[in-house]
Amino acid sequence: MWYEDISNDSDVVISTRLRYARNIAGYKFPHMMNNNEQAKIIKLIENVKLKDNYKLFKMKDIDVDTENSLMEKHLISKEFVGNDDGAIIASDKYDILCMINEEDHLRIQSFESGFNPDKAYNNLVEFTNMLEKNIDFAKNDKYGYLTACPTNVGSGFRVSFMLHLPALAKIKMLNKLFNQITNIGLSVRGFYGENTKGDGYIYQISNQKTLGISDKEIINNVTAVVKTLIEQERKAREILKKNNLYLEDEVYRAYGTLKYSRVINEEEALKLLSRVRLGVSTSIIKEVDLKKIQNLMINIKPYTLKLILKQDIENDEDKVRADYIRKELK
Amino acid sequence: MKCEKCGKKEATVKYYENINGEKRELHLCSNCANSIGITDFGSVFSPLFLSIPDYLFEKEKIYCDTCGYKFDDYANTGFLGCPDCYDTFSDKLDDILYKLHGKTRHIKLLDKNNKVNTNRGYRENNKNSNRKLTKEEEIKKLKQEIQDLIKQEKYEQAAVVRDKIKKLENKKD
Repeated sequence: MWYEDISNDSDVVISTRLRYARNIAGYKFPHMMNNNEQAKIIKLIENVKLKDNYKLFKMKDIDVDTENSLMEKHLISKEFVGNDDGAIIASDKYDILCMINEEDHLRIQSFESGFNPDKAYNNLVEFTNMLEKNIDFAKNDKYGYLTACPTNVGSGFRVSFMLHLPALAKIKMLNKLFNQITNIGLSVRGFYGENTKGDGYIYQISNQKTLGISDKEIINNVTAVVKTLIEQERKAREILKKNNLYLEDEVYRAYGTLKYSRVINEEEALKLLSRVRLGVSTSIIKEVDLKKIQNLMINIKPYTLKLILKQDIENDEDKVRADYIRKELK
Repeated sequence: MKCEKCGKKEATVKYYENINGEKRELHLCSNCANSIGITDFGSVFSPLFLSIPDYLFEKEKIYCDTCGYKFDDYANTGFLGCPDCYDTFSDKLDDILYKLHGKTRHIKLLDKNNKVNTNRGYRENNKNSNRKLTKEEEIKKLKQEIQDLIKQEKYEQAAVVRDKIKKLENKKD
């Protein structure tokens, strides 16, 4: 799976996600459709001959745990979980994952680990062309590609990057930077603890505008900002490293707690893993590699953990999580 | 109905009050509503409906012929009903789109040679535009294309388009 690997600039960029919103010409948008009409959309797409490495799964055939695990990995939206009228098309490595009958008929997503907009874009276009050769998408000259929500109309294109910015947060630069970013029309969302003010220091940067602008411009706008953030975060890490003892103390305490705790909830685990991630990316912690931490950050989420261990964990989730982390960090 | 306070202007604001269980309903004009401190109705909605202009709240009945969607519905859901809604509600949408995107139209998905424009978009064979253009629209479109080509000093291509227009103009409907 693509998210198990680390890649370009993985010290700061967790993942790259590009998506097109597309609808099939001549049909109402999904929220206006009944079950039969939605089934018809799936049928139309099923009839497209896809390359062998793509498979279509109907949501009603996917069990709830797997759906939730896909959501935990940000591969499908929260709203899509439990949508029995939907379907997904996934590539072998899940680097292409297309939701059918979400907000639009098609939400085609292309993922890459780290900072990889070009590769993600090529894959996205290749897959989309494969569909567009066989299906007429709803579009017109004035508004481009037509989407259920006018926020996506035009290119239907969203470029987003998931970033780990602990050092900028620690030197209290984030608010200032985020203000600038929102001022130029991009959006910033906190991840992993939106309610805890982003204690995992993970943020998603993406474009908001989609109309009257080409894909290239959108990519350039977002990547320019992200590249700057990468540089700034690295500089901030250097500054923190000058005060090495305290940074070292913090990341090792986090590492120690993860290594030895007996009961740990998701929130605390993510908070500590975020610090260990900083420690590993700055080469303070050398006993464990970035890939392992990246995977732990996904695998300790409840549904994903349940699927990995193939056991019910509802009654002792926090204990099971602690055991799992200890084993992985041994 | 006239305003219950000044009795002059037309009442446009319905105001409900419930003080210690005693219910009261007032019909006021906007000035009087302002004067008793009921102000800035927009701000009540603004966090939710930042991009929706006020006239949406007047119950206007425009239906989309294709899907039966009312423009009012957009205020409630944030969604349109079907691709044709974009044509049906075009006038009203431009306002919304401008607020959202700073633009009211998309870039051309195809360049002059019918190739994908800098990004991607239409297939080369643009067979699936939603409806066939009328002769007049087609000519208008081609004339615009000529202007663009002349600006780019692509005179040969412009000549080809000019001949196309001639051919169209001579063609009977």
